[in-house]
Amino acid sequence: MNGFRGKFTLLALQNAPLILFAVLIIVFGFMSDRFLTPINFVNIVNQASHIAIIAIGMTFVLLIAGIDLSVGANMYLSAAVLGVFLVGMPPIVAFPVVAVLGLAFGAVNAVIITQLRVAAFITTLATLFVGRGIALYFSGNKMVPFSKSVLEFGRSTYLGVPSAIWVFAVVLIIALLVLKLTTFGRQVYAIGADPDAAAKAGINVKRVVFAVYCICGVCAAVGGLVSGSQVAVASSTFGFQKEFPVIAAAVLGGTSLFGGRGSVLGTVFGAVLIQTVENGLVMTNANPYIYPLVISVIIFIAVFTDSSRTTVLERLERRKIRVEPD
Amino acid sequence: MTAADATIASRPRVLPAWKRLLLSEYLVLVLTIFYFVVMWTIVPEIAAADTLLDILSAMMPLLVVAIGQTFVLIVAGIDLSAPSIIAMASVVGASVMTGDAGYANGSGVEILAGIVAFLAVGSVIGVFNGLCTTRFNMPSFIVTLTTMMFFSGAAIWYTTVHTDASSIGNLPRTFIEIGQGRIAGLPFSLGVVLVVAGIAHFILSRTVYGRWLYAVGLNPKAAAVSGVPVRNVIFWAFVISGVCAAISSILYTGRLETGTPVLGQRILLDVVGAAVIGGVSLFGGKGKILWTIFGVLFLTVIDKSLQLMGLPIASVFAIKGSIILAAAIIDATRHRLLVRG
Repeated sequence: MNGFRGKFTLLALQNAPLILFAVLIIVFGFMSDRFLTPINFVNIVNQASHIAIIAIGMTFVLLIAGIDLSVGANMYLSAAVLGVFLVGMPPIVAFPVVAVLGLAFGAVNAVIITQLRVAAFITTLATLFVGRGIALYFSGNKMVPFSKSVLEFGRSTYLGVPSAIWVFAVVLIIALLVLKLTTFGRQVYAIGADPDAAAKAGINVKRVVFAVYCICGVCAAVGGLVSGSQVAVASSTFGFQKEFPVIAAAVLGGTSLFGGRGSVLGTVFGAVLIQTVENGLVMTNANPYIYPLVISVIIFIAVFTDSSRTTVLERLERRKIRVEPD
Repeated sequence: MTAADATIASRPRVLPAWKRLLLSEYLVLVLTIFYFVVMWTIVPEIAAADTLLDILSAMMPLLVVAIGQTFVLIVAGIDLSAPSIIAMASVVGASVMTGDAGYANGSGVEILAGIVAFLAVGSVIGVFNGLCTTRFNMPSFIVTLTTMMFFSGAAIWYTTVHTDASSIGNLPRTFIEIGQGRIAGLPFSLGVVLVVAGIAHFILSRTVYGRWLYAVGLNPKAAAVSGVPVRNVIFWAFVISGVCAAISSILYTGRLETGTPVLGQRILLDVVGAAVIGGVSLFGGKGKILWTIFGVLFLTVIDKSLQLMGLPIASVFAIKGSIILAAAIIDATRHRLLVRG
């Protein structure tokens, strides 16, 4: 009986984020008629897409047990360059330019981390300040408006789906393919699980780590573009402290901060879950001051169940050994 | 082995001066002094007595939080919630003391009640962080990230419940003196900080608990095998961090004369940054109160000098970031040299 109950608990814990998601949808659905509509669902994904895109990049970094605190600054730098220097360019030209800039930002982090061997936390903390400083210099500490063509891109839809979601889908598919089907993807997991063993197995750890921070940089820039095209102007606090919801989304989706465990799909689920809560709170006319409280409690519950699962798993495995003595 | 060989072998290796400096634990202090001297030639006001006192009072509250953070960093944890503890304690403490319908107003012990409220908020959040990390095996980064989000939100919400203004003012004069008062020309907060730093230094260097902290930070499994109560050691590190944040909140609130929910919002990365620049390792097992003091001094002097130069915010950000980066690169180089021997 005990074993059955243990397995049941485990099953519940394993799917805790999904159960949480379902409960939230039911609760919000009852509280507001507008919540459970297809339009609102598209809306939620649309609003979640920039966080999801950046969190996909962050997932790569977290998988190798790294961290990137500079994504918010990278976002703002991209937005500032787009709004100040690339005004005349159509989005089709300007966006790749900004993405390359994001790659360069990521490469700076990567050089310092891999070549100068500075801890990722402190490196990206420093580049957070430098990046935001440079962006503020470009913007002159003022609001940065975007050109008409960028705003049109933000408002445009294709097959009834907003362009932000298309960008998000493309990033997601590429990331999925890279992690699941390429050698590089397996190397990322291997390094996260045990960097020394990975190095002994012949993986060029430095090169993979370098690439991972570049990927995160590109994702942050693309996230900045998507978010910028949606909000029309970038204030001087654009992207400020965005690193926290991004990391929260990844962790909510089951990505470990200690590397080696996590998936892009989980991360996307985490980003959508956070946005669903925020959207539900708006729909049910909750006190805006309560938003951060509710969201942090939900993240807490998700991480709490995830840790409990690990504990329960350990206990179950221990029991098995005791039950079957030959 | 001949006697001559033995003398050669036992003769201490003489390192070149730059290497000795690089390896010295006073490196950050030397860098600060060097920076200060360079700045002196650009902005002479920096050496004025008023500016120096300003630097001193500005670094006091930051120093107390950073000291608490040092304990958590030594056990390889991180406490991102410290700034939100400062904010929450500030508004709760102020709501107890304030002359505008404060809970303890007119009771005669409002200041005492207020200070107890500050410390209670800090220790309760610290206990929560500690429990989650040790009893439920949750990573401290995430636990304190969620407590940070929760209590920075809660502090703003708490303020809206109590007042229509954005902060809770009209605090007792005697309380404000804690943050602003001076004794013999020196800020009163200096005394508070000296006591906290003294106790922290004593705990880390002279007590069994201090040894345990380092043991747990270096290798928790080995520590557990050797009989160290690992969970309790980590638990108390978080409580200490919470209480230190609360003390810092008392100093900040006294200085600003109001309980503000956005207090300390921007110092999160400064706190961790200061400790790490001082040489405290994010991976645990390495750290000293003296190092943290140097780190905080370094960051405060930079902040003050950039402020004196009247630079736009863009340059302040960029320069501060570059300096943190330079310090980190120097530290990494130093570490490599040490490993090589």
